[in-house]
Amino acid sequence: MENPSNPGLLPAGLSDLLPPDAGFEASVTERLIDVCQAHGYQRVKPPLMEFEDSLLSGTGAAMDRQVFRLMDPVSQRMMGLRADITPQIARIAASRLKSAPRPLRLCYAGQVLRVRGDQIRPERQFAQIGAELIGSATPAADAEVIVMAADALGYIGVADVSIDLAVPTLVTAILGGAVPPAAERTLREALNHKDTGALDGLTTQIGGDLTDLLKRLVLAAGPADDTLAAVDAIDLPAAAAAEWDTLKAIAAKVRALAPTLPLTIDPVEHRGFEYHAGATFTLYAAGVRGELGSGGRYLAGNGGTTAGAGEPATGFTLFTDTLLRALPRPAQGRRLFVPAGTAADRMAALRAEGWITVAALDDGADARAEARRLGCTHWLHDGRPAPIGEA
Amino acid sequence: MNANEKLVLALPKGRILEEVMPLVRHAGIEPEPAFDDSKSRQLRFTTNVPELDIIRVRSFDVATFVAFGAAHLGVAGNDVLMEFDYSEIYAPVDLGIGYCRLAVAEPAEMVKSDDPQQWSSIRVATKYPALTRRHFARRGVHAECIKLNGAMELAPTLGLCRRIVDLVSTGATMKANGLVEVETIAEITSRLAVNRAAWKTRPKEIGGWVTKFKEAVDALAA
Repeated sequence: MENPSNPGLLPAGLSDLLPPDAGFEASVTERLIDVCQAHGYQRVKPPLMEFEDSLLSGTGAAMDRQVFRLMDPVSQRMMGLRADITPQIARIAASRLKSAPRPLRLCYAGQVLRVRGDQIRPERQFAQIGAELIGSATPAADAEVIVMAADALGYIGVADVSIDLAVPTLVTAILGGAVPPAAERTLREALNHKDTGALDGLTTQIGGDLTDLLKRLVLAAGPADDTLAAVDAIDLPAAAAAEWDTLKAIAAKVRALAPTLPLTIDPVEHRGFEYHAGATFTLYAAGVRGELGSGGRYLAGNGGTTAGAGEPATGFTLFTDTLLRALPRPAQGRRLFVPAGTAADRMAALRAEGWITVAALDDGADARAEARRLGCTHWLHDGRPAPIGEA
Repeated sequence: MNANEKLVLALPKGRILEEVMPLVRHAGIEPEPAFDDSKSRQLRFTTNVPELDIIRVRSFDVATFVAFGAAHLGVAGNDVLMEFDYSEIYAPVDLGIGYCRLAVAEPAEMVKSDDPQQWSSIRVATKYPALTRRHFARRGVHAECIKLNGAMELAPTLGLCRRIVDLVSTGATMKANGLVEVETIAEITSRLAVNRAAWKTRPKEIGGWVTKFKEAVDALAA
């Protein structure tokens, strides 16, 4: 048994970020927000908690099992700690900013908390940075957020970003409600794992033609050009063909905006996008485990108390836990040890030159040794910064 | 994982290895001689394909190596894939080898008086606790699982618990231990397992191997 009285023990999936990681996470967050703001996305800041029913409406419903809940002693209503920020942005767009001109461009950064991590992503708390484009259903809107997400990742130094495009509504349109619910669950699991063997096992329930069609779609996943050619060769039902045409239009727009961005297409990807209403995408980087972020189409304000279908919206979310794993550790800044008694204006001048000043609080015997002990790279020697050198 | 690092194919030790090697070779992969040397303690092997290595690990560990991206490709039974249910694994090719089934079994004399439809909670010994719990939960039965790593058939005779969930191929071991299958949970074959991020970030290479393995299955089945 772990000793519960050890004050260093934190609950599973929660951790202290220490130097330099904490500072690095903050600077990565700010630089990503800068990119979004430079593209005309204005920052909003929703609260950490809100009433459960608004938090879990629309795309938020996917997070039902991930939300920590507590009772609000004031209103006697159930509150949830956000596990995802996108539903909050959708709520803001549908309520307080419902009269703001469309398309509405908003961005955000904040911490989220989830009931459980998984083996691949053990963190239960991490930061999300994202942007939402609300009020436009055009492929140009999808392409804008996709390319902006890739740009933002490139800007903070993530190498070899690639985009995986999907359209979860394609399979839904193909199935068209014709598959019995019991078979549909097995079918979805098989598609989520691209398990053609399990699809074969469903032949008696869903028919050979549908099985063959789904298997072809599964194996068509790959580089965009290959997938486009493979799926174009398949005779899709009319409703599914419309979904596919939308995805093609988005792929073409992305290509036009970012010709060198690696693009793959996955016709059956559905996991994590159960509540999305159209094209979705996932951001990967070569050599990085797991996804850096994801996003896609949803209907903003289609749940809760707002009646109607909701507004067309799309956006992306990046996850700092994976991002920090993907980025090289930051170079340490130049830290300068300054002896006690140095004039305040001299120290200010050094900081203005870009030095990080670490002031001595008393007259130590050996300033250079003291500088080394405190992890400084330089010390103020004869009034000038000098490298502390090797011991 | 690195962008240009070698691809790693994880193969399971034991009974499946013999069955899978004809497919691996048909796909154009020939491991270095040490691979077939039973005395070799080597765990990682180069192949005739410069950008592909093979590792040999326990069948349950194949899924874990692939899920975490430590191996990009692997061969694992769908029993193992279902037990872990890793979201990061795709299983695009049914290799058509390692046929068996995952079944619930109990002592022959118990079967006469036992109606599985009436179960509300049962205790089972199994190597597959997650899969077993999920399976029974779906039909409204709470399964309390005792995790064993082998020799499941001993559990009922020695009074550890009365029921087991285990792989059955011919049924001979079950019979020899006085057990009878009462329910099939799943049909099992081996699958080519692929790491999701690897497929997305190296689509040409990974897609190429998926196609080659599929062709190998079709060719050897013909």
